[in-house]
Amino acid sequence: MTGISALKVDDLHKSFGEHEVIKGVSMEAQKGDVIAILGASGSGKSTFLRCINLLETPNSGDVYLAGEKIRMKRNRHGETVPEDIRQVERMRARLAMVFQGFNLWSHMTVMENVLEGPLYVQKTPKAEAREKAQALLAKVGLSDRADYYPAHLSGGQQQRVAIARALAMDPDVMLFDEPTSALDPELVGEVLAVMRGLAEEGRTMLVVTHEMGFARDVSSKTVFLHQGEVCEEGPPANLFSNPQTEQFRAFLFRMN
Amino acid sequence: MENILSFIPLDITLIAQNFDRFLYGVWVTLNLTFLALLIGGLLAIPMAIARASRHAVLNPIIWGYTYVFRGTPLLVQTYLIYYGLGQFDVIRQSWLWEPVLSSAWWCALIAFTLNTAAYSTELLRGAIVDTSKGEVEAAIATGHSYRSRMRRIVLPSAFRRAIPAYSNEVIFMLHGSVVASTITLQDILGVGRWLNGRYYLAYEGFITAALLYFLIVLCITWAFRWLERRYLRHLARRETPAAARMDPEPTR
Repeated sequence: MTGISALKVDDLHKSFGEHEVIKGVSMEAQKGDVIAILGASGSGKSTFLRCINLLETPNSGDVYLAGEKIRMKRNRHGETVPEDIRQVERMRARLAMVFQGFNLWSHMTVMENVLEGPLYVQKTPKAEAREKAQALLAKVGLSDRADYYPAHLSGGQQQRVAIARALAMDPDVMLFDEPTSALDPELVGEVLAVMRGLAEEGRTMLVVTHEMGFARDVSSKTVFLHQGEVCEEGPPANLFSNPQTEQFRAFLFRMN
Repeated sequence: MENILSFIPLDITLIAQNFDRFLYGVWVTLNLTFLALLIGGLLAIPMAIARASRHAVLNPIIWGYTYVFRGTPLLVQTYLIYYGLGQFDVIRQSWLWEPVLSSAWWCALIAFTLNTAAYSTELLRGAIVDTSKGEVEAAIATGHSYRSRMRRIVLPSAFRRAIPAYSNEVIFMLHGSVVASTITLQDILGVGRWLNGRYYLAYEGFITAALLYFLIVLCITWAFRWLERRYLRHLARRETPAAARMDPEPTR
């Protein structure tokens, strides 16, 4: 099928000052794809993810969400800026993000965190939003924690709330930025289990991760970034058993 | 009763006879203090946002204003407005003179408001700037616009974190309001001074005034303790099963 891809990134470049972090990365995700993005620290994998929803502004390159291009222009200083911030905000609402540090709103309860986007960004009717939030909390196994504040939960629980918060937006694509890297080892499993369930449901996901097992077993495609460029990519079965480059071989060796 | 009273080296009867005056003083003090806090607080919100967002034009202007008002004593500010402005014919002849600038009460209110607005602006600016970067990013990533993430995430969080420091500002403003008594107003201290001037009894007037201020501060402290319990619950420690599990095993 040659439908419109859920997410397409075309020749993305990003520099911090003189230092070029992303040197022309392209990526395409069909609906239901789970793309695992691997790479050593400093390979630009998080920056790449943050450029997709414009938490970082790329220097050049295009992002298309379900065929719609995020329009950019140059300002009078020659910097790339969004042409229409409203469009960017609409796109962000369809691109939910789960962060390494959870980033739950600390003054809101679990329930309020999950309700925030639907109620105040999407303007969903209250009853409907609440019903959905309850279902999502049940799905991540935290129905009994709805009235807790984030600081009173474990890291794994906080990250599961963050996933429920992302799901509440009914996103077209979910971006995961090292979702288990800040967790104690014994709490990683519960978060990965939830993510595995989402993959099985057919959610489109981009996952920056250090979890080799997740990439190998769950992703439909694995991409290895090295120094801001795609070094290897393909179905994980081939990639892991038969690394083509010295860099990926060395990376796999270090991770095992 | 006679005996007990005679041990206290104060003329209690005199205080009791003039207590209605003191009550009126309490009214003047509370009125001035809380009106100034209310208006000053409302002015501080947009100014703090402009400061925190480093607005190109407004930020340096507001910075200059808060620098001047925090750098000079409230007494001097009040004198400049009450005595100073009257020197200018333009002001004495303006429409503002008769109802506002010639009145001690209005001058005190203006000085107090500008003073507390300056302190509150900087206090709130700090709280806004200290909002967790990750929480702001999460709001951006959810699709909140600048206005709506300010209204929904940043300000509610900043207001809560500013509560403990703001309780100090409220108490300082209450104590600072004694300045009103130096420009003829009969606030709490003003009544104390009047009593002293009339009967040459310094203790009676000033101890009563001190006690009244103390009682008001006590109420303010209680109110803020309630506010903190209500609005800072999310920062309080709480024993959870997860936290208990993370406790180290007792050594055998």
